[in-house]
Amino acid sequence: MSDDYLWDGSGEPDPEVERLERLLATLRSDRPAPELPENLGLRKRSVLFRHSIQLAVAAAAVVLVIAGWFLLRRERPSWEVVSLEGTPRIGSESISASGRLAVGQWLETDSSSRARISIGIIGEVHVDPNTRIRLLKAGADDHRLALARGKMHAAIWAPPRLFSVETPSAVAVDLGCTYTLEVDEAGISLLHVTSGWVAFETEGRESFVPAGALCKTRPGIGAGTPYREDASEAFRLALTRLDFEERSADGRLVALDAVLAQAEKEDAFTLWHLLSRVRAGERSRVFDRLQVLVPAPPGVTREGVARLDRQMLDRWWDR
Amino acid sequence: MTFPLALAQSDNAFLANAARKGDRPAFGLLYSRFARMVHGILLARVPRSEVDDLVQDVFLLALRRLDTLRDPCAFGPWLAMIARNRATDYHRRSRETTELSEDCAAQDPRPAEALAVLSTIQKLPEAYRETLVLRLVEGMSGPEIAERTGLTPASVRVNLHRGMKLLREKLEGREAS
Repeated sequence: MSDDYLWDGSGEPDPEVERLERLLATLRSDRPAPELPENLGLRKRSVLFRHSIQLAVAAAAVVLVIAGWFLLRRERPSWEVVSLEGTPRIGSESISASGRLAVGQWLETDSSSRARISIGIIGEVHVDPNTRIRLLKAGADDHRLALARGKMHAAIWAPPRLFSVETPSAVAVDLGCTYTLEVDEAGISLLHVTSGWVAFETEGRESFVPAGALCKTRPGIGAGTPYREDASEAFRLALTRLDFEERSADGRLVALDAVLAQAEKEDAFTLWHLLSRVRAGERSRVFDRLQVLVPAPPGVTREGVARLDRQMLDRWWDR
Repeated sequence: MTFPLALAQSDNAFLANAARKGDRPAFGLLYSRFARMVHGILLARVPRSEVDDLVQDVFLLALRRLDTLRDPCAFGPWLAMIARNRATDYHRRSRETTELSEDCAAQDPRPAEALAVLSTIQKLPEAYRETLVLRLVEGMSGPEIAERTGLTPASVRVNLHRGMKLLREKLEGREAS
């Protein structure tokens, strides 16, 4: 028997390995992360403190002075903005070279200006002309902008979910990537991912958009279904009708059948998203087409997918 | 469709640097990403009843020593080495604790057969027992073990193959006797 199953879980399952996996999984630990000491590097200082009370007093005084200095200088968190062209504005002030964008402030470019925002140490955003963007949060675990209109290009090298951009109809959550996001006057957004992944989220609806794919949103509806950048025009139009325009059952079926007929193997991620978005009566059509393009792994059944079994959907995604 | 793998590649270097500067959420993320690996490495070497505490020791030790991590991209292999050293240190320092742990094993509520198989794995050569525990107990795949520990995929595959062969022989011998 091949050892593929032992190696990465693929291939024909080895019954003995499966039995041992089930048996030994009971030995896993679920203990949470440890409480961390208040001060990192405490150990070195404590040795010094034990040997010198005077040094401790002096150090405490220094700490008090530094803390007081920081308190006096305390400001709202802000990010550096550099003008790349023209004179962008932060609030009511024009910036010719550079400035600081504080939480709550708007950065605005006109038709002849562009800017670059440094997102702390985790990345940067280039702001195109005719864009209005606001800094919402600049915390250690939540870096958040709001794009009201215009276009921005983000390059983020942080762990997933530390950086996000709110648009009028969805939130783009960075999963480690570079992407372009634009919002028109009607609040319609278009996300284009060039590397990594972005999650486009609205209440109860989430699209995972990989590199080389796009995703639209509409106010009042939220994120549409992601599709690859080189999908055919017919495929895109049918998907837009299905996501945002068709309300009648007949109209939806026509649009859905057009999407499925045009779909190729590379569109499997689009069809996977559709499984949980289409109406219950439409789901088996998507199942059948996806099954042809990327056969469901063992254990993923039509019935399970029909009731949107999360584990089955995830297993098919992993395929 | 490889979303989970894409996430797995996200930036340990960034997290390690942030943790080194005292960023606790970053350290928490590293913990969730590497806890299984550390648990498995220790479980392959020390009594089971000691492992949970030692896992926490290893992470706290790593936090204190983060400034000795020369290449943040090698966080996984560096942490694996700390875990192996901690296991060695455990055996060097506490013979009494080992005996006490074995007494405690009798009261362990987990299936006796699981503990017996674990005991058999713990008697295999070191290279085999670590990869087998990571694969069979912690549920990591071979590629994941290689990526986390810094071992080459070829080494992990060979260790899994040979280790499993040895384990089958030992288990069959146990049943026969």
